[in-house]
Amino acid sequence: MSEKHPLLATFRDQIQRCSRCGFCQAHCPVFGTSLRPALNARGKMLLLKEVLEGSLELNEELVESLFQCTTCASCTVNCPSGVDVPTIIKAARKEMVGLGACHPAFVAMDQVLEQNPNIYAEDEPGDFEAPRGKQAEVVYFMGCVGQYREEEATEAALEVLGHLGVDYTLIDEVCCSGVLEDVGFDIKPALAAKNLELILATGAETLVTGCPYCFRTFNNKQIYAPLKEAGVEILHLSQFLANRDLGVITDQVVTYHDPCDLGRHTGIYAEPRRTIQTLAPNFVELPHHHADALCCGAGGGVRGAFAKNSLDMARRRLAEVDQVGAEVVLTECNSCVHNLANAKLRAQKFRVLTTAQFIAELID
Amino acid sequence: MQASWKPRLAELVGPDNFSDAVIDLVSYSSDASEHSIRPQAVVWPTNVEQVRSVVLLANELGFPLYPRGAGTGLSGMATPSTDGLVLDLARMRRIIDISIQDRVAVVEPGVVYADLDNALAPHGYFFPPDPGSSKVCTLGGNVATNAGGVKGAKYGTTRDYVLGLSLVLGDGREMKVGGRNIKSVSGYDLTRLMVGSEGTLGVLTEIILKINPKPTATATALAVFDKLEDAGGAIVGVMSSGILPSVLEILGRETLQAINQNTELNLPEVDAMLLCETDGFTQAEADYQMERVVEQFQANRARSVRQATAAEEVADLWQARKSAYAVLARLKPNFVLEDVTVPISQVVNMLAGVQEIAGRHQVSIATFGHAGDGNLHPQVLWDAAEPGETERVEKAVDELFALAIELGGTLTGEHGIGLSKAAYMGLEHGSAAMETMRNLKRSCDPNNILNPGKMALDG
Repeated sequence: MSEKHPLLATFRDQIQRCSRCGFCQAHCPVFGTSLRPALNARGKMLLLKEVLEGSLELNEELVESLFQCTTCASCTVNCPSGVDVPTIIKAARKEMVGLGACHPAFVAMDQVLEQNPNIYAEDEPGDFEAPRGKQAEVVYFMGCVGQYREEEATEAALEVLGHLGVDYTLIDEVCCSGVLEDVGFDIKPALAAKNLELILATGAETLVTGCPYCFRTFNNKQIYAPLKEAGVEILHLSQFLANRDLGVITDQVVTYHDPCDLGRHTGIYAEPRRTIQTLAPNFVELPHHHADALCCGAGGGVRGAFAKNSLDMARRRLAEVDQVGAEVVLTECNSCVHNLANAKLRAQKFRVLTTAQFIAELID
Repeated sequence: MQASWKPRLAELVGPDNFSDAVIDLVSYSSDASEHSIRPQAVVWPTNVEQVRSVVLLANELGFPLYPRGAGTGLSGMATPSTDGLVLDLARMRRIIDISIQDRVAVVEPGVVYADLDNALAPHGYFFPPDPGSSKVCTLGGNVATNAGGVKGAKYGTTRDYVLGLSLVLGDGREMKVGGRNIKSVSGYDLTRLMVGSEGTLGVLTEIILKINPKPTATATALAVFDKLEDAGGAIVGVMSSGILPSVLEILGRETLQAINQNTELNLPEVDAMLLCETDGFTQAEADYQMERVVEQFQANRARSVRQATAAEEVADLWQARKSAYAVLARLKPNFVLEDVTVPISQVVNMLAGVQEIAGRHQVSIATFGHAGDGNLHPQVLWDAAEPGETERVEKAVDELFALAIELGGTLTGEHGIGLSKAAYMGLEHGSAAMETMRNLKRSCDPNNILNPGKMALDG
């Protein structure tokens, strides 16, 4: 039998295994904000089940649901039936793009990266007063958000690397373009080739990323396999900093927001906490933490396409910071910092920083 | 639904609280049961007046209404049975009052169980029924389905905690029943009638719940039995030993085998495992009760007994029970989780009967459940793509219900009748009881607007 939706059909068993228990509703950030079951994982699986059965067309009417998922995976880690929702959603999006049904924001994202080296179509990269394209032990990869939206987070990361005497260099990096895989498109081979060429040319043994999503892309996507084949170790900044003597300490009350890409998707929970708890002994956990952490609402393209709900999700997360009475909420993802800082209300007196920003502040 | 209904509905609740988008219709086509029919539209009312106006419009134009909480029900209580409108109460979710002095919590129907629990915790209080879906299910759904959970043996079910309700009846009249009083014998107990009425009589708009001080100490023990009869002896022994455990759960041999095949837990593959928790306000109180439990385990030839009080060890003992549903849910593409309930003395006969039925029809049924209140969960597993398997499952389920009734039990201890068990109502209820139920339905909902097709009340 020829399949109408061959990619989606490879997940038929998974989609049918959704027992419709609805337990994902407790964890889905989009449901938490909208209270609309069509936007929850169960609703999405029901839609795809009907698509596979032929009673529903995979068309633009489904965009609002299937493209409104931060791919945070909180549904998956709590699913009694073990359904890997984000992977299925990504496959469905690819099928939809193939059929011409896509959110315009994601079409634009693909077009931007077709013509530009970064997701924001910016043409003036800052120089960050740091070595660039040199032979070095470490390449620091800033990511688009770090380079063009959260420059202070990047400056701080570089300051901390400098403080530790790390032999590092930047490169004339281009977007890793991993995000396109999440929103129905494909990584741009030209961009990947450029990054590979520049990273390998430095002779570095270690690639450190400030962005957990770039980290996942370099680690998991086949197109970036030459990095590992060349013996390059790929680390997220939080792993690189864990166990290093930073020589600073504070009595501020600090909490930590687990980025989905670092936590649920990669299992990195301990390293950032080790660093933070050493420099801030007054550490408190948020009510939802580790695998239960609430998503900041930025992922999966949702910030660009569904801005209001994205900010609402961030506000729900920030309400937890208020609840535990922290003075500072730290995270390890520039994108999370960006969304949380944008959502913060004036009445909320705590600060939102990356761990590196906080360390740099204490060093100063 | 006629096209002209939709603008009127959108006007009644506001455009943001109305949808006929296909994504919403599909998402409301089913709950956690196997039933699936798309409604024609959905509204999310935010106050009583909106609920009332929607009910009145449904009566005027003659379309069915399907009230819904979180849609975690396992019997099709929230799924459409034909065309109609889903009334999702999730956006009425205020905790109106928590009064420790009066020992009540007053909530709107869309409040999630866990949110009330979190709000009560700082006061040292809780709302005991603790259904398995507590992180998601709404209190309106709990009341409408008379939800229960693992603590039924000692703490009862939702019914035992509902003091008062506000509703909009099927004909649009507003009605208040009960109140904030712990005791009341004033008139017919309409509150108790409404609890478990599955949205067939009225739409809940406010709920007054009795709350309990939360015990601060627990003791836990796990025992395994080579023979099912010995486990049965232990259940009866514990429940008549003069104390009431807060939890007494059983896992049957097939469940233990399935867990072993799919986890690293390495459980003994015996006839039955019992897991018991006692609670109290001092550790001595919990421990004293647990001593009585362990005496009964040993007197009934338990192969081994493990006890724990430290949180980590307790979590370890709970692992098998907690994993049961998820492990079984992954074994085959289709499953249905039943909840037949029998008198405590008949638990073992029911378990043995389930396996006899499974063997005879060559279907896979793994059982676990709440032994302390006789409520068992045979989880029937099958693959609908296998020719003939669905028919064999249907026959086995028919016999399962017949056996429960024969043993003096009931079709459903906590999941409800809904669509799934409507056809079996006559097995349990005589003609006078069915006629009384239908008369009550007619007096509250003369046009059969609310949740038609459920509980065999039509006609």
